[in-house]
Amino acid sequence: MSKQISIGGGQGFWGDSNDAAIHMIRTAELDYMACDYLAELTLSIMQRQKLKNPQAGYARDFLKLMDIIAEEAYKKKVGILTNAGGMNITACVDKLKEMVECKGLRGYKIGYVLGDDLLDRIPELAAEGIKFENMDGIGCFDDIKDKIVNANVYYGREPIMDCLGMGADTVLTGRAADSALFLAPLAYRMGWKDGDWDNLARGIMAGHLLECGGQGAGGNFQYDWRSVPDMDQLGFPIAKVSDDDFIITKAPDCGGLISRESVSEQFLYEVHDPANYITPDVTVDVSRATLTNVGENQVRVGNVHGKEKPDMLKLCIGYHAGWKVVTYLSFAWPNAYEKAQYAADILMKKMQRKGMKADEVHISYLGINALHLGVADMRPELVDNANECVLRIAIRAQDKAEVEKIIPEISPLQLNGPPGASFFGGRAKATEVIGLYPTLIPRDAVKLTSHIVEVK
Amino acid sequence: MEIYLLQIAHGRSGDKGDTSNVCVFARKPEYYDIIKREVTVEKVREYFGDMVKGDIIRYDVPSLDGFNFVMHHALGGGATHSLRLDTLGKSMGSAFMRMKINVREDELV
Repeated sequence: MSKQISIGGGQGFWGDSNDAAIHMIRTAELDYMACDYLAELTLSIMQRQKLKNPQAGYARDFLKLMDIIAEEAYKKKVGILTNAGGMNITACVDKLKEMVECKGLRGYKIGYVLGDDLLDRIPELAAEGIKFENMDGIGCFDDIKDKIVNANVYYGREPIMDCLGMGADTVLTGRAADSALFLAPLAYRMGWKDGDWDNLARGIMAGHLLECGGQGAGGNFQYDWRSVPDMDQLGFPIAKVSDDDFIITKAPDCGGLISRESVSEQFLYEVHDPANYITPDVTVDVSRATLTNVGENQVRVGNVHGKEKPDMLKLCIGYHAGWKVVTYLSFAWPNAYEKAQYAADILMKKMQRKGMKADEVHISYLGINALHLGVADMRPELVDNANECVLRIAIRAQDKAEVEKIIPEISPLQLNGPPGASFFGGRAKATEVIGLYPTLIPRDAVKLTSHIVEVK
Repeated sequence: MEIYLLQIAHGRSGDKGDTSNVCVFARKPEYYDIIKREVTVEKVREYFGDMVKGDIIRYDVPSLDGFNFVMHHALGGGATHSLRLDTLGKSMGSAFMRMKINVREDELV
């Protein structure tokens, strides 16, 4: 049998629980664990944090996790890879270095990758003739170019592998593609190169199945959520990959479920065209893929193929797109829904009188239709006798003062509106709207560099 | 007879910007052809109405007894732009599954 590498997915997003990652390090035999912290707009939020505090702008949660696991992972030789560096990779590296130094882990090596943050290079790249056309064909670059919050390019495995090549025990990145965090150690240890497209595609799908943490192991499981054991200690998925096999499993002695059905729900999640799932490293084809139960909590993934990688890299630009405010007011039986609608009507009349200029107003009713909107079941026998109903009004405008007009008008309706209204959660606050502008740039316009620091 | 799609299928929704994707899998291999017949792009477009403003594409993945539906301009602007409670469309998967489809009783073995 060829060499097999075990890699675990330790985090599904910024704010995820650390429990499964800790359990995995303690109980599973891993070669690597990768932790994904970045969703599409996370970097915009981190950039805002960094502007307020030059030492912020990365996922501090990762340091809390490392405080618990660093020593054990180092002793067991489990390499850690993460995009927790966010918008302030070097600040995160410094803090991590300080921490492992305190723990006395001499010789510990932290690798990191810089160069995904292209904010300062946008004018230069535009001058070179890059058009920054919107990938989704919405809006034009000229309209957003003066409102950019952050611009980060999704990159692939190579600079992460370079860090591993320099002996990194932990690799910290910014906007590496989620799945590249997982592909990199697999390709590094297996020796996969460009041209080994099928193997690279398998590495990407291993990452894809692991990068959402618990959602790959029975969390958010529509098929039969009641059948998932011990969700209070849900294990996260682990991939065991070799040149001739690819198995998804999880750590021993924890909850969760790895089955054909639980893996399938994650398999196509956020994949668009299954025959052309584009990543920086390889174009993945899972249109003929198979999933087979091969043991308790073990699923074999088969028939994953790969094709030539794309010429261009995806650049995600976040831009200031105005302000929004969200307000709530609850009503109790009887006629809860009718009263909430009446309150919405009062508020909209008041806003008209105040001359509110909004780009969009969205009114929905929690308990009735706030989630399923137009396809919610609105039969009178269901909604007319509701025990309670929460009015939700969301407003978006370019001008902060416009969205703020409704804020002082909500709580007075407890005394001035239909009976049984109850205000909760304190006064709403306007929040910044950050728009997402995805575009493509040529690979050679991006200059990524790999670095290493060692704890003495 | 009319049933909820949920009875014969399961899946999950995800987001990229304002695009919602819902993967749909047959609960039994025999149900794949029913879904293929009943859950057409036209049917999905009519079902969601105003909620989905852009193109809808269905990709068939028979080796997984599944489909992937990609719905553009489906999340009220997506991410922080959207004014919806569920800006990321986490509940689009269950919204999809409450679609009513027509089946013959003998198909539901």
